[in-house]
Amino acid sequence: MRIIKHIATAVLTLALIFSCEDRLEVVPEDSVATNTVFGSFATINGTVVGIYSKNQSGDLNGNPQLISEFMADNVNFVGSFPSLQEIDQYETLATNATIDNIWFDGYELIGAANNVIANLPNVNVEEINDLTQANVETFVAEARFLRALTNFRLVNHFAQPFQFSNGTNLGIPLVDRPFEGGDISEFQLERSTVNETHAFIEEDLIAAASALPADNGNRAEAGAATALLARLYLYREQWADAANFANTVINSGEYTLANDYDFYDDNPNSSEHIFVVINTPTDGPQEATVSDEVYVNFFNPAPGGRGDAPFSQDLLDAFAAEAGDRRFDELSQAATDAGGNATFFTTKYPDIVNNASDGMELRITEMYLIRAEGNLRNGTTIGDTPLNDINLLRSRAGLADLTSVNLDAILLERRKEFCFEGHRRMDLLRNNLNLRPDNGAASAPGADKVIFPIVEDETTNNPNITQNPGSF
Amino acid sequence: MLFLMGIFSAFAQQNNVSGLVTDFENLPLPGVNILVKGTTTGTQSDFDGNYVIAANTGDVLVFSYLGQKTIEVRVGNSNTINVQMEQDTQALEEVVVIGYGNQEERKIIQNVGIVKEEAIENLQVVSADQLLQGQSAGTQIVNASGVLGSAAVIRVRGVNSINSGSQPLIVIDGVPITDSQNTLNRGGNTGINPLSYVNPNDIASLTVLKDAGATSIYGSRGANGVVLITTKKGRRNSETTVTLDVNTQFSQSTDVPDILTADQFRQFKSEVATIQNGGVAVTPEDLGLGAIGSGGTDWLGGVQRTGISQNYNLGVRGGSEKTSFFFGLDYQNTEGFIIGNDQQRAGARINIDTDVNGWLKAGVNLGVTNNRLARVFVENEIDAPFTTAFLQSPVVRARDDEGNFLQSGSFIPNIFARVALDDRELKTFRVIGNAFTEVTPFKGLTWRSEFGIDWLSTEETTREAEFNTPGGLAQQVSVREERWLTNQTLNFRPELGDDHDLTVLLGLNYEETLRTRLNVSSTGFLTDDLRNLGSGSTPTVLNGDRFPTRLFGLFSRVTYDYQGKYIVEGSVRRDGSSRFSANNRFGYFWSAAAGWTLSEENFIKDLDFFDFLSIRASIGTVGNDRLGTFPSLGLFSAGAIADYNGESGVIPNQPESPDLKWEESETLDIGIKSTFLNGRISFNASYFKKTTSDLLLNQVLPPLTGFVSISRNIGEMENKGFEFELNTVNIQSDNFQWRTNFNLTTIENRVLRLNEDAATDTQGRRIIDGPIQRAIEGESLNNFFLIRYVGVNPQTGDAEWLDANGNITTNPGSTDRVVTGSPLPDFSGGMTNTFTYKNFDLSLLMNYSYGNDIVLDGLRFADGNDAIGGIVNIRTQNLNFWRQPGDNAFLPSPNSTTFNLFNQRSDLQQLDGSYLRLKNITLGYSLPQKTLDRIGGVFKAIRFYGTATNLFTLKGDELDGIDPEVTDDIDPLFQGESFFTAPQATSFSLGARLQF
Repeated sequence: MRIIKHIATAVLTLALIFSCEDRLEVVPEDSVATNTVFGSFATINGTVVGIYSKNQSGDLNGNPQLISEFMADNVNFVGSFPSLQEIDQYETLATNATIDNIWFDGYELIGAANNVIANLPNVNVEEINDLTQANVETFVAEARFLRALTNFRLVNHFAQPFQFSNGTNLGIPLVDRPFEGGDISEFQLERSTVNETHAFIEEDLIAAASALPADNGNRAEAGAATALLARLYLYREQWADAANFANTVINSGEYTLANDYDFYDDNPNSSEHIFVVINTPTDGPQEATVSDEVYVNFFNPAPGGRGDAPFSQDLLDAFAAEAGDRRFDELSQAATDAGGNATFFTTKYPDIVNNASDGMELRITEMYLIRAEGNLRNGTTIGDTPLNDINLLRSRAGLADLTSVNLDAILLERRKEFCFEGHRRMDLLRNNLNLRPDNGAASAPGADKVIFPIVEDETTNNPNITQNPGSF
Repeated sequence: MLFLMGIFSAFAQQNNVSGLVTDFENLPLPGVNILVKGTTTGTQSDFDGNYVIAANTGDVLVFSYLGQKTIEVRVGNSNTINVQMEQDTQALEEVVVIGYGNQEERKIIQNVGIVKEEAIENLQVVSADQLLQGQSAGTQIVNASGVLGSAAVIRVRGVNSINSGSQPLIVIDGVPITDSQNTLNRGGNTGINPLSYVNPNDIASLTVLKDAGATSIYGSRGANGVVLITTKKGRRNSETTVTLDVNTQFSQSTDVPDILTADQFRQFKSEVATIQNGGVAVTPEDLGLGAIGSGGTDWLGGVQRTGISQNYNLGVRGGSEKTSFFFGLDYQNTEGFIIGNDQQRAGARINIDTDVNGWLKAGVNLGVTNNRLARVFVENEIDAPFTTAFLQSPVVRARDDEGNFLQSGSFIPNIFARVALDDRELKTFRVIGNAFTEVTPFKGLTWRSEFGIDWLSTEETTREAEFNTPGGLAQQVSVREERWLTNQTLNFRPELGDDHDLTVLLGLNYEETLRTRLNVSSTGFLTDDLRNLGSGSTPTVLNGDRFPTRLFGLFSRVTYDYQGKYIVEGSVRRDGSSRFSANNRFGYFWSAAAGWTLSEENFIKDLDFFDFLSIRASIGTVGNDRLGTFPSLGLFSAGAIADYNGESGVIPNQPESPDLKWEESETLDIGIKSTFLNGRISFNASYFKKTTSDLLLNQVLPPLTGFVSISRNIGEMENKGFEFELNTVNIQSDNFQWRTNFNLTTIENRVLRLNEDAATDTQGRRIIDGPIQRAIEGESLNNFFLIRYVGVNPQTGDAEWLDANGNITTNPGSTDRVVTGSPLPDFSGGMTNTFTYKNFDLSLLMNYSYGNDIVLDGLRFADGNDAIGGIVNIRTQNLNFWRQPGDNAFLPSPNSTTFNLFNQRSDLQQLDGSYLRLKNITLGYSLPQKTLDRIGGVFKAIRFYGTATNLFTLKGDELDGIDPEVTDDIDPLFQGESFFTAPQATSFSLGARLQF
């Protein structure tokens, strides 16, 4: 009897020991591991979709636009958020949480793109069902477009513009490979110059423009890469290139000016859009914790929005100077701001509840304005005259034709067209104009805090980085 | 030997002595050891209590049994000797629960903190962690806030890990319970208290395992200490008693800061604006604040209330000859002192064990809790009642003249409307228990087999109303976390005679934990009457995932003592965890300990001073594996976070870290235990040094990698310190008794080494950086790292700071940050005084912490003029702003360039966090036996009691209105930080306990 018990005990114990060891091998059920992510067409496509998804982050499409508007003269920031308040007062510190998120999310997107750019070409197309070499090239080109878009956004905010010293000033660190758990020091890079940064962006965009199809649904297509090149050349004052590339997009036949301003409200298929960041109610937040698609939070009045970013008086005056502008009449609403003052808010981002308003990235109107500005500055008429291009936009806005245009008229048109879309700050800086009328030295072009400091998370984790001048 | 003895016996004149051994109630007692004194001849009584032993006339028989007094009887002429054993009450109480077993207290050479039943039976608490507060040296408990259900931060001997898994392992009746954060973040990062699922009235005792000698048997989970909770059991052969406890509690907030009234606010803003306007008057109306006297809202008053709570508790305890049992029933209806915060808990427990026959014992311990908690936000959240009530402008009106809610007009919401109209409910159902069998094939060997379960099911729902969220919002998070486990142990204690005592434990532990989560939200509701997800137009799945982990351990412990004088103990454990890659899956942990009971030696006995004196030392290792489910794999996330325009995508979310391995702590512990003056004074002290290597941390990566962090082993850390416990019986007379228990702990923390690729500061020192704190290699893990604020210069009216070199500046920057303080106390502990006078008893429990700083980040908003565009309310000291030279002002001159820089992050928000708090005071009166007899003899005991908690707190002046016990975050790197913590509750309760 006792012996039987001992044997039973021993057998049971041994059985448990052996059965348990095997059970320690557990695999994730809700994540794809690195070694399998390029194993099927669906997951390969998923890695590219993931980059678009990252581009939806409010820190890349939302906050940079909002900040560009209130740092300039389009938005009167009523102030509710300490980190935004700092930026608004040109006192941005390296510890500022908002710019920290922009920097982080920017390089997260670049990392996701680099994963595709570096690893997808090594995939053997033969081994994967449905995958063709053409797919691979398109996917890589999309990744390069999104990387260029993001690098461009970062260099515009964290570095002085090209005009500061002909692009020899410091730009941003250029990351061209994904981090795969290895040596961290490969990612402790010094900043490249603005010219080097622009060259890196240009290289990506030229490659993307030639590899992308003319029509790629709502994803990046050849026209998007060409359009972004036109903007890059405009910012670099390569007037002929700017006018030429804008003209190429206009003549591609893929895009036409929309008749109405109905492309803001959940209309990504409008002919107006060259590249639009599509936000839908069900696509969820881009951060693990909370939704950060924050267009509506600031640009819309309470309840729902925060009521922080109404029209500035200066912008209201600009619209008032020429009454009947549909871009004001149809795209604004009267409401009370967070400080309790009666004012006007934009309606370009109407979906308050689901954070599903689309991000205006590149639209055909910008190509007309780039072509007009490039031609005017260069004394050419590539495609059409500046006057005709401007009047085309004015007539859509319900305004009478001008008889002549100068640079001021083009900039005013850009302002009214793109207010709340994030162009204003760069338009002023690159034309050597103070960000706010009569504001003085703090907002003058070239001032330390018209750009962001390099964030403290970078400076403490990267001994090779150079901080921007100023007190941080 | 036996053979020789047999020969010897054959020659001797021997009789067979026989008899019956009974217990104190005259029931037969099996298993009693019977030994012929001075020989190795021995036997045991059988199941019926009978024994037979060969002995000579004149021999002395020694009868011994655990928990009974040892009896010696000389063999006379009769061959029959019947013995009645006497219960040794002292010995009974001295058996304490340790890891996978029990041990006699006087033979323990592990460093354990023991909270016995008598220390807590009269303590009225809401949650089990409060039973530990101030009771045991080396165990520090910091309550997050007075919000119901909020988790306390429990630290056993300081911070030994720096990842989120730094809380001790909690084991309830042998079941290590899960403590994942399964609930929505409602501000702060402390989650829901895992101990709120245990009815404190069901708890018999708590043991805190501190040194490696005690914890290494828990191997990979022992690094942060282990808290063993034992629930009440019945006693064999005892009458069934029923205890009914009923009490009512009233609670209020302890202390809140003084903030401006509407008119003070108008006055202040208008005065400041006038000065800034060059003296030209600016009226409150000009500022849009309304005229003086035009009313406003007392937000802070409005979010507080007197919470009224009811507690009912029933316990039934008893036992027959072979079976003992405990049943518990408990219902709590608690109302917090913050509006919208209440909780109902119902729990039941059944603990039963029975001797099936002579070699088999079986039983079950099972606790079930059902909890419903109406949650409120805390800390840096606009929906947090306390935070928002501090910050909301007092001129904002909450309701119109008809009493309808008004919108606040800013992003700081009308908190009254938020709390009244929105619902945030957490429902929890939890079962913790195990079933066991104990087989004793022969005396000395026990095979215990346990199958345990910890089944947690939570359902958290949110419904935001149209008024607060246009279109409404519903969210439902359902989490189920189930842990199944088995413990198989063999305990062998051979009979080696009087002098030698050897115990060998062999064991196996296997656990499977699966966490399943579903998180869905929905918007677009036509009306607030449509309550649930399906009625919204736009449902979104935010999470739907499962996190499996498994753990498998083999362990052994050997204890040996010689005459109870010299004790040695060693243990080993080998753990395998599914969290690690196959290369580093298994970890080995060990400990060795030795002790010397000096009071058993004649040279101490001769002193005739010590009742008990022992010294002990231990060394050993423990580990920590708590860092995510798959910390070593490179992973891409899918789902809502990665999709775009209806297409599914994946995004990188975790870089690969294939070499990741266990975190390991090595602890050295030396201690002394003593009792003297006939038990009047006992004094224990210990010294410990704990070195944790291969610290697991989500190391911050350079942002250019595209990842925020990577799970890595990042360095080495040391904690060392002393623990003291002094228990005294100050007065002992027939009617009056006064006892004091005092404990004190010091801990010094140092980061010994960080990896070569760690972040560095300007001097090139390796650091782990945070916005408020910074860990520096060679210094403490927790340093407040801030700009130094000096004050307002009485002559200039400028606020002044120090730059990095210690020179006065009026425009400091982030490079001027230096180490300004530490959230770690120089020492901390507790003191309990108990008084009994006739039928009255009074106990006062205090806890204290000295030398620590706290940072209240929210003061950046509550002080100064410009926070959040100047729309927020501020503390009254801001009325004292600089007006003319010579003013000793709190705020700088409104015309100073520093006026708006004043409230930037600096050590202005750092406060001295030292305090002494009267945590719990209880006065009880038990009816005398005479009275009980007079009312019919139905009741065995009746006790009436009143309890007050947090009655007073001794703290620095600058903490006026601020609670010193703060923790915004359970993360060790954020200790001592808070935004605005809701204060603790001061509560008064009255109750009665009836026993029949």
